[in-house]
Amino acid sequence: MRSRAFENAVLASPLVLFLLAILGFPALLSLVYAVSETTFRTLTAPRFVGGANFAAVWADGAFWRAAWFSLRFGAITAVLQCALGLFLAVYLYPLIRRHGWMVAVLIVPMIVAPAMMGLMYRLVLHEFVGPVPHYLYLWFGWSPAFLSPANVFATVVAAETLQWTPFAFLLFLAAYGAIPQDLREAAMVDGTRPWRLFWRIELPLMMPTVFVALFVRFIDGFRVFDNIYTLVGAGPGGATTSLSIYIFETFLRRAEIGKAMAAAVLLFLASTLLFVAARALVLRGREGRG
Amino acid sequence: MTRTRIMLAAAGAAALAAGAADAQVTVLGWPGGPEETALRAVAELYNARPEVAPENRVELLFTSRDGFFDKLQVDLAAGSTAFDVNLLATYSIGRYAPFMEPVTLSDEAEAVFGETVLSTMQFDGQQYGVPTDLSLHFLYYRRDLIDALLADEAVRARYGDIAEEHLGERLEPKAPEDWTWDDFVANALYFSRSVNPDSPTRYGTVIQAKNLLFNMMVFHSWPRSYGADWLDEEGRVVVDSEAWRGALERAKLLFDLGATPPDSTAYEYAEANAAFASGQVAAMVQWNAAATELTEAQPDTAITAPPAGPEGRFTHIHGLGLGLNAAAPNREGALAFLEWLSTEEAALAYARAGGAPGLAPETAAKIADERPDLVQVGEFASTYGFVMRGGTSAEALSVYEAQAQEFTGYWAGTQDLDTAIANAEAAMTRLLQ
Repeated sequence: MRSRAFENAVLASPLVLFLLAILGFPALLSLVYAVSETTFRTLTAPRFVGGANFAAVWADGAFWRAAWFSLRFGAITAVLQCALGLFLAVYLYPLIRRHGWMVAVLIVPMIVAPAMMGLMYRLVLHEFVGPVPHYLYLWFGWSPAFLSPANVFATVVAAETLQWTPFAFLLFLAAYGAIPQDLREAAMVDGTRPWRLFWRIELPLMMPTVFVALFVRFIDGFRVFDNIYTLVGAGPGGATTSLSIYIFETFLRRAEIGKAMAAAVLLFLASTLLFVAARALVLRGREGRG
Repeated sequence: MTRTRIMLAAAGAAALAAGAADAQVTVLGWPGGPEETALRAVAELYNARPEVAPENRVELLFTSRDGFFDKLQVDLAAGSTAFDVNLLATYSIGRYAPFMEPVTLSDEAEAVFGETVLSTMQFDGQQYGVPTDLSLHFLYYRRDLIDALLADEAVRARYGDIAEEHLGERLEPKAPEDWTWDDFVANALYFSRSVNPDSPTRYGTVIQAKNLLFNMMVFHSWPRSYGADWLDEEGRVVVDSEAWRGALERAKLLFDLGATPPDSTAYEYAEANAAFASGQVAAMVQWNAAATELTEAQPDTAITAPPAGPEGRFTHIHGLGLGLNAAAPNREGALAFLEWLSTEEAALAYARAGGAPGLAPETAAKIADERPDLVQVGEFASTYGFVMRGGTSAEALSVYEAQAQEFTGYWAGTQDLDTAIANAEAAMTRLLQ
C-alpha cells in the first residue's frame, strides 16, 4: 500500500512541479505584490503595506462597477449561449446525424481568437466602412450606432454570444446524442408528442450538461477581456470595463501594481467560492436523483 | 544520411550566427505607419555606410502599437537586453528615464532640429533621445463645403439661427483660418443632419472619444486656448477651472446634438480618419500624421491650425524619438547610431522616406518641394505648440489615462461634469503631487 502511494507521488511529481513553476510562482508573486507598495522601479524591492491595497480596492467605485459589469455580462451571455446552443443541438440533430460535416461549419466562430473577433467587429460595425451599417443605411436609411454608449453593452453581449454559442452547442449535441434511442422509441409508442418528449424526458436527462455548460460559459464571460478590449477598450467612463480589464488598466495604465494584484486576489477568491458553490449544487442534485 | 543532416544543421547554425553578427544594434521602433517606413529607410542608409562595422549594423524590431508603451515599460523595468535603442515619447520620458541613459547628439543637431524640438526629448536637463517625429494637430476641413457656405447668402441666415439657438450667440460663417472654437462648434452643428436636415454631410465633425490617452491629447488644444493647464505655478492641480469646464461642455454639446457620430465614443485615430475620408464629415481636429491619408481620400481637404480661444491659438505638441536602453548589450554601437541619426543627412533621409521630423526652418526649406507639410509642422509647432505643465513628468501618461476615463464618461453621459472634474482632480492630485 505504502509503495503504491510512493509510486503515485513519484508519477505525479513532474505535473506538480510543472504546475508549481507555471502557476505557483506567479500566484505567490501576486500575493506578495498584493500586500506591498510596488512600482515598476521597485519590482524587486516591494514595501510591505499589509491590507492597504485590499482596502483601496474595496473603496474603489470603479472596481465595483467592473464587478457588476462582469457579473451581468457573464450571466446574460451564459444563458443566451446555452439557450441558443440547446436549440441548435436539438433542432439540427437529425440533420447532423446525416451530415456530420455540418458540425465543423457551426463551430468555426469558436476557432477564431477572441482578440481577432473584436478587431473584426470593429471593422464590420464601423458606421462608414463597415458592411452592416452600410447596408442598413442603404436599405432603411438608418443604422443603429452599435458602439454608442446606449448600445455598446448589447453589442458586446451579441458578439460574445455569437462566438461561444458553438461551444454550448457541442456539449448539448454530445449529451443529446447520448440519450438512448430506445427511451425515445418507448415514449413515441406510448403516444408522447415531440414537445412533451423533449420537456419531460430529453431535457431532464441533459440537465447535468446544462449546468456544466452554464457554469463554464459564465466563468468565461465573467473573466472576459480580449474581444471587448480590442473592440471598445475600457469604454467611455469605464462603461465596458470588466474585472479583467480593470486589473489590466490598474496594473499597466495606472501603474498601481499592488492594487491590481489585490483586485486579482479578490477575483480569484470570488471565483473559487463560486466554483465550490456550483460544485456543491451539482453534487446535491446528483444525490437528490440518486 | 546522418552526415547530410549534420552538414545541414551546421549550415543553418552558421547562417543564423552570421545574421546575428551582421546586426548588432537592435532598435525597437514605432510599428506601422510612416514612422516604420522612414526608420527602415534610414537604417538601410546607415548600414550601407563604409565606416559602420558589421557588428554595429542596425537591426530593426517592431511589435504592435496596441499596448506598445505598456510592454516597453515592463521590458525596460525588467532590464531587457532584447534591444539597444528604443522608442521614446515626450509624454513618457519621465517614466522611462530611470531605465535609460542620456545620449550625445551630433554637432549639427541644434541647427537641424532647433532648440524647441530638441527639448521634446529632454528630461531633468538631459538629452534622452534623438527626435524623429513631431506630432501636433491640424484642423482639417472640406474647402468645397466652406466655400459654398461662404458664397451663399441664403444659408448664412440659417447658420446664424443655428448658432444663436445652440450657442446663444449669432455667428456668421468664416474662413477656418479665422475660427474660434465657437465657430468650430457652429460649423459642426450646421453641417450635421441631426441639426440641419439640409446638410450635405451626415456630421459636422468627428471627435475621437474612445477612452484612450492619445484622444485626450487631441482634445487638449481646445481647453488650452481657454487658458487651461494641469498645474499652476505653485504646482497645484487646476483642472477644476472655467477653462476646462467650458471646453468640455462645448464638446459635450456636439455629442448631445449628434454633430459627431454617436459611436465616436469608441473611435480612435483610424476610425475618425475613416469617417472623414468617407466624405460625411465637414471638419475635424486630427494629428498632422493624417495629412496624406485625408487629403488623398478627399481632395478638397484643406489644412490650417486648430481654432482659437480667448487665450489664443494652441496645438498640443509632442515628439517621438529614439534613445538608449540602459541595459543595451551594444552601448557603443547604439550611441554611434543615435549620434548619426541627429545629423542633417539622417533627418532629411527620414523626412524623404515619409517620417515627420520637426525641422528648423532652414532645414525644412531644403525639402520644401518634396514635403511642404513639414514646413507647416515647423511653423505651427513654433507658433502654437505647448506642453501642459507636468506633461513630461513620470506620471504624465497616467494623467492622460485618468482624464480619458473621466472626460469620455462625461461626453457619453455616464456621469455629470462635476463628478468627472472631481474624479480627474483627485487622480491628478494623487499622480502629480
